[in-house]
Amino acid sequence: MNDIVLDIQNISKAFQKEKVITEASFKASRNAVFSILGKSGSGKTTLLKIISGLEQQDSGSLFLEHEEISAIPAHKRNIVYLYQDALLFPHLDVFENIAFGLRLRKIPKKDIVKQVNKMIFDLQLEEHSHKMPTQLSGGQRQRVAFGRALIIKPKVLLLDEPFGALDVDTRKQMQQLCKQTILNYKITTVFVTHDLKEALLMGDQIGKMENGVLKTFINQSEFLNDPTTGAKEEIEFWKNIYKNEERF
Amino acid sequence: MKQTRQIAILYKVIFVCLTVVPVMAGLIYALLYSFGIIGIMNNGFTGKYWIAVLLSDMFWVSLGYSLYIALVSITISLVFALSISLFIKKRNITISYLFYIPLCFPAVVMAFYSFQLWSKSGWISRIIYQIGGIKEISSFPDLTNDTLGFSIVFTSVLMIVPFFTILFSNLYHSEKLHELKKVAQNLGASSFQILIKITIPVLLKRSWFTICLFIIFVMSSYEIPLLLGKQNPQMISVLTMQKLQRFNLNDIPQAYTIASLYVMITIFVLTLLSIGGIKKRFITKRRAYA
Amino acid sequence: MLKKVYISLGVSVVLFPLFLLLILSFGKQWSYPHIIPKEFSLVHWISVFQLNSTLPITILKSLVISLSVATIVTAVSFFSAKHVSYSVHRKKWLFLAYIPYVCSPVIFAATLQFYFTYTDLSGTMLGIIIAQLFITYPFGVIIFSNFWNDNIKSIEQLSTTLGSSPVQTFQKVVFPLSKSVLLLCFFQVFLISWFEYGLTTLIGVGKVKTLTISVFQYIQEANLFLAALASCLLVIPPMLLLFINKRFVFTNQQIG
Repeated sequence: MNDIVLDIQNISKAFQKEKVITEASFKASRNAVFSILGKSGSGKTTLLKIISGLEQQDSGSLFLEHEEISAIPAHKRNIVYLYQDALLFPHLDVFENIAFGLRLRKIPKKDIVKQVNKMIFDLQLEEHSHKMPTQLSGGQRQRVAFGRALIIKPKVLLLDEPFGALDVDTRKQMQQLCKQTILNYKITTVFVTHDLKEALLMGDQIGKMENGVLKTFINQSEFLNDPTTGAKEEIEFWKNIYKNEERF
Repeated sequence: MKQTRQIAILYKVIFVCLTVVPVMAGLIYALLYSFGIIGIMNNGFTGKYWIAVLLSDMFWVSLGYSLYIALVSITISLVFALSISLFIKKRNITISYLFYIPLCFPAVVMAFYSFQLWSKSGWISRIIYQIGGIKEISSFPDLTNDTLGFSIVFTSVLMIVPFFTILFSNLYHSEKLHELKKVAQNLGASSFQILIKITIPVLLKRSWFTICLFIIFVMSSYEIPLLLGKQNPQMISVLTMQKLQRFNLNDIPQAYTIASLYVMITIFVLTLLSIGGIKKRFITKRRAYA
Repeated sequence: MLKKVYISLGVSVVLFPLFLLLILSFGKQWSYPHIIPKEFSLVHWISVFQLNSTLPITILKSLVISLSVATIVTAVSFFSAKHVSYSVHRKKWLFLAYIPYVCSPVIFAATLQFYFTYTDLSGTMLGIIIAQLFITYPFGVIIFSNFWNDNIKSIEQLSTTLGSSPVQTFQKVVFPLSKSVLLLCFFQVFLISWFEYGLTTLIGVGKVKTLTISVFQYIQEANLFLAALASCLLVIPPMLLLFINKRFVFTNQQIG
């Protein structure tokens, strides 16, 4: 667990004098999921965009496998950034969407077919491989987006509220599928969400972002005991309900 | 990153060169000419052309007449377009093609057509003569080059109605008016109330910016009033051009005075139109950061 | 039943202008009070295909001007619009584009005439092309500004993080997605240029004759039949485009 893949040190960013991130630091271990809990507007999206290279930080350093990557352009970092909207390429079908990254890397056609078909199987999308994005449900689209990212074996996968637009049941299924697939494909992941339970469920390591300040926790119990995370309140709430129930 | 920024700057420079520079260069030239600083007649700075234009009826009458033509044309067009788009409602490919056809007509051709239709010796006059409505050509009323601008309005309406009909039909679907109507019905609104309180306000509100732009477009139209208008009053573009092309050299600075006034009024109106929009945009931009 | 009456009325209102112009273009003599010309002739139409007459050259010149303007504007405004749309000051940039877009082209040309004379560009095809760029380029930027929205930006970014270089992102993602709007802009600008009269006359100073200018000249010479013929020639190409795909001729963004 101590093999650090992603090391973020003192990242700060402002848009037109408005500070969005202040001195954010965290370390993500190999093949683990680092959850960041935060409300919308807390600066988490900007932080992920900086890590992926889509935005440039004002100060601070980014290390990927001990190499400083701030000067490396986004398309050469091998860090994939996904967010709430699946953003499938509307002109390509499911198969071609997933194959996109492999085609860029000029991998032999045979291998592409093999890898993509395996991914389609893993994500339970066999019936849909030749459908266009508009013919898919929200959950299916999100799975395709996921497969498209995983197949190129990124060094780090950044997930920005990936299940935010899904209904409760689909969301649950996707959380399980996502966790399992990340584990199978062994990919270091940073997972951002505003949902307390989701953060706990998905993350091996955990952090909380508020007004551009990132606080990291050593383990889950430290997170649960911290009054600012809201976890305690949540536990108390259910305890009280349970007590009341017993009383009747 | 650096290269991207350089490319962005390059395209912005091109943008400025192709939009801001011509407008500013034109306005500066027109202003200098109108104040007698440059030009064939220049005798140093003078405000006499501005005073002449601002104090004469000619400019104000022309501006008022242009506004009159624009408002009448747009109002009639909106009535027609609303009626037609609500009449069609369901999308019908053949019918919708029909409304695209007039969009293929340039103003010159439409004006020429109107002239052939409404002039004293035009097609309508011939028909009425044939069915015995008039005894001689001179009995047919002046419908082209007339003071009320009948044929100018007719031509403008002909060109504007298809555009707004398509716009309203598209809005009818994109704004989900069909569903809104059901909601209103459910709340107890009558068909007439739905039309007055829901359908028309929604369509007009969503297209008000376009309507305002069209008023400016009609006000500054040139080919149509050039062919179908009268010597007096004249619409603003025709007046400017005529003053510019006259033999009297004193008219040229006046033409440039009118041109600079026109450009400044256009910029002013556009500024007013965009103020509301900027506020709205600011909110969405902020949201994009989070 | 009533609906059918309305529809046929609509059809006749729309198609009548074309019908009347076509009839007149074949006419030879149309004295009052005849409803249609007394004599018909193919003479005017044949002249279109005769190389020694002026019409084929006029058509060719118009085509060269309109195709050049459409190509340049589509290519340049597409990328300009990207940088304008993605800018923090998007609204302010677009406001600047709206000024030349709504200004009367003929008055705009009047204020610029001096510069064209000074640079020896007035009366040349190059001069007309440049002048038309001033009114069509802002239009192109306005059309494309709606294409470069937050969704396209996110798709571009996603493609980048999946490993595609800026060139690959353009080839494999942006270009396939923008094909229809590129075509739309091309045809729209072609039409603006093809129909343009006031500005073209002023900058062309009578030396460069386009088809639209010819229509006007024939009208001024009271040559009814040739004016009708030239009108038909002006109208037919956009109608063909319409026949291929109606989206080329109309856009919601055309005016706002």
